[in-house]
Amino acid sequence: MHGWMGKMLRVDLSTRSTKIEDIDEEILHLFLGGRGFGVYLVYTEVTPDIAPLDPENILAFCAGAMTGIGVPTGGRASMSTLSPLTGTIFDSNSGSQFGVRLKWAGYDALVVSGRADSPVWLEINTEGAQIHPADHLWGLEIPSAVEQLKARNSAVVSIGPAGENRVLFSSIADESGRSYGRGGVGAVMGSKNLKAILATGKPRSTIADQEITDFVNYEAGKMVKASPRTSQGLPEFGTSVLVNLMNWYGVLPTNNFQIGEFEQAENISGECLRDKYLTKRGACWGCPIGCKRVTRTKNEKGEGPEFETIYALGSSLGIDDFETIIEANYLCNRLGMDTISCGATIACAMELTQRGALASELAFGRAELLLDTIQDIACRKGLGDHLAEGSKRLSVRYGLPETSMQVKGLEFPGYDPRGMQGQGLLYATSNRGACHLRGNMLGPELLGAPKMLDRHAPSGKAGILIVLQHTSAVIDSIGMCKFVNFAIGDDFFARLMTSITGYEYQVQDLQLAGERIWNLERLFNLRMGFSREDDTLPPRFLNEPLKEGGSAGHIVHLDEMLAEYYRFRGWTEAGVPTPKKIAELGLKEIVKEQSHA
Amino acid sequence: MLDQFQRFGSDLFYRGLTSSHGGNMSVRMGDRIIITRTGSMLAHLTERDLIEIGLDEDDSNIMLASSELVVHRAIYLNTPALAIVHVHPPFAVALSMCMDDAIIPMDSEGSYLFRKVPVLQTETTVGSKDVAKIAAQVLREYKIFMLRGHGCFSIGPVLEEAYQWCSSLEESCKIGYYTQTLQAAQATISERGLGSLEYRKHTDDYKEW
Repeated sequence: MHGWMGKMLRVDLSTRSTKIEDIDEEILHLFLGGRGFGVYLVYTEVTPDIAPLDPENILAFCAGAMTGIGVPTGGRASMSTLSPLTGTIFDSNSGSQFGVRLKWAGYDALVVSGRADSPVWLEINTEGAQIHPADHLWGLEIPSAVEQLKARNSAVVSIGPAGENRVLFSSIADESGRSYGRGGVGAVMGSKNLKAILATGKPRSTIADQEITDFVNYEAGKMVKASPRTSQGLPEFGTSVLVNLMNWYGVLPTNNFQIGEFEQAENISGECLRDKYLTKRGACWGCPIGCKRVTRTKNEKGEGPEFETIYALGSSLGIDDFETIIEANYLCNRLGMDTISCGATIACAMELTQRGALASELAFGRAELLLDTIQDIACRKGLGDHLAEGSKRLSVRYGLPETSMQVKGLEFPGYDPRGMQGQGLLYATSNRGACHLRGNMLGPELLGAPKMLDRHAPSGKAGILIVLQHTSAVIDSIGMCKFVNFAIGDDFFARLMTSITGYEYQVQDLQLAGERIWNLERLFNLRMGFSREDDTLPPRFLNEPLKEGGSAGHIVHLDEMLAEYYRFRGWTEAGVPTPKKIAELGLKEIVKEQSHA
Repeated sequence: MLDQFQRFGSDLFYRGLTSSHGGNMSVRMGDRIIITRTGSMLAHLTERDLIEIGLDEDDSNIMLASSELVVHRAIYLNTPALAIVHVHPPFAVALSMCMDDAIIPMDSEGSYLFRKVPVLQTETTVGSKDVAKIAAQVLREYKIFMLRGHGCFSIGPVLEEAYQWCSSLEESCKIGYYTQTLQAAQATISERGLGSLEYRKHTDDYKEW
């Protein structure tokens, strides 16, 4: 076998048993690895009677065929599970070196199930897995826990206090904050009493055709250098380059999406970050782009923040104190929490307070309360305990569900869909909830990549979005980063997959694999009780036009786009994949038990 | 400003100097540059396609600017240029691949305007720092140069002049191409007679008519 390792490691923490299993090569070929293989595992092993924090739920860390191979940005891996925040299938993708070391240890996947009776950490190496007591690590913030376990030729990921306390948007991260960030995957790990995982492995080559791979790599490198986005914008500013742009377009969420333009955007912009706080640039393993920021405030140093964090802990809270935003980001990283959901949930609490539904001191613009609030959430202290459940549950608890800016329970990233119709459709249809990483329309609607579309036009968006959704599933599955897609397209992915795995992949084969992955995720969600009713947006986006800024006067025309979307997908009007579609995608055997099919 | 970009952008495309999404243009305004958006269509520019960015410092608009920004910047920082046009004129590109280090126009207008147009080459050609380096150097002495197999960069105090250099170069290259092609045909005729090109009886006799 080339590209993949053909092995996976299973750990059952309840019985403290571990075993190495062979993986059917045909499954890897069909699902590509990474997110695709994770979807397959969760679909086949997590049944509807299992709750996210039950011992029976699985955590599946999956590397892709490109992970650790040496292709540009090929340092990524996925973590799939049933999310406690959304109740959907969920995969979280990270550029942490953990995926690379897992692959080098000889495994395409690590699947953890069960629950240890006391805190443990896992050691992964070529021999298999060893389970060690972790009482001394429990309660530690992530950098401290990782520091204690770090070893030569290894990578460690850990949960922080938030994951231990089962905060529903807690994350799993390495010492620098590179996270499996969204969906509460940290709470799943915490529910298993698993504090940390260390993977040890040395580089190994599994490439089918090294010469062709080198050639395609060389050409890909040329394209990365030629694109100002990958050679200048992202390296120089990181993702924070988007703050001023989104503000100019009038889609920078402000005060919990009540406004699309933040007057003080300049104070929290990429330019400001570079000029005042940046100390060093960095990159994930194997990445020639290098969007990572190493920063310093008066009191601390650390990594980030990303654009999404700046929106969630900044403009969406009406806060322009960049020092506080940066330190809030460091704090979330140390405690192990997704900054987007954390900020969006605090924004929801601020609006609940603004509207008199919640008695709290929280208010838009009150930066001085931010750090304590984050700490309270991680420790589930006072109001923090309610916030730790995410914005959907919080808004319902206080009687104003419309104040929660989420889809399927997952809080929005930093692009108001009223200025981007296709993005609105993306949010509504994403299998893991409101997410920009499932076929981002930012490229075609705002940046002109690959071509500039009319951002306010709903017509024709469904087809384009579907292609992007498939491409994003492919990138997540093969183990590369979506940013490389600014420079190289599907044809490069196909050529690399061919030269690395030895299977003949054409662009259409990869699109089909992406569609297969998307449909299996959809089928899982349907099995869990989701339906067309969940493919929607908060009423604010459907009924309340933005009053000012670059997207003033617009709402999302979802119904029109959604009908077109289902038709394009070959689903029924209820949003269910038809038996014909399931057969076309080669999923018949896998989903044979499911009544929806 | 927009109308100038639109006028010359449209001319560049409709005169066949570049493809639907190829080429870019910019003007310098003090320490700022206005440059066409990456992926924009020169024949159909709108306000959204003109991107303002610093002359020697990036800002957020780097995500939208032409991929050749690095070359434009180097040119502005090292020459008196206030406007730049970069296109891929097909006759000039073809000729650049047949010449060692320069295109020497044969026609009198081209000779009068250019005398010679340097042809340079680098390993990478799009958005390349190597190109930026040589462009900044060669355009101190010349108004236009060819990057072998890729296209030309031309400069001027205004867009119109930069446009003129591209347009004139392509015309000279076209004349050069036709001339050489016809010369080759002429050589064939001399050797084999007009009959070698014609199908009619008595072809060679018509000159006596």
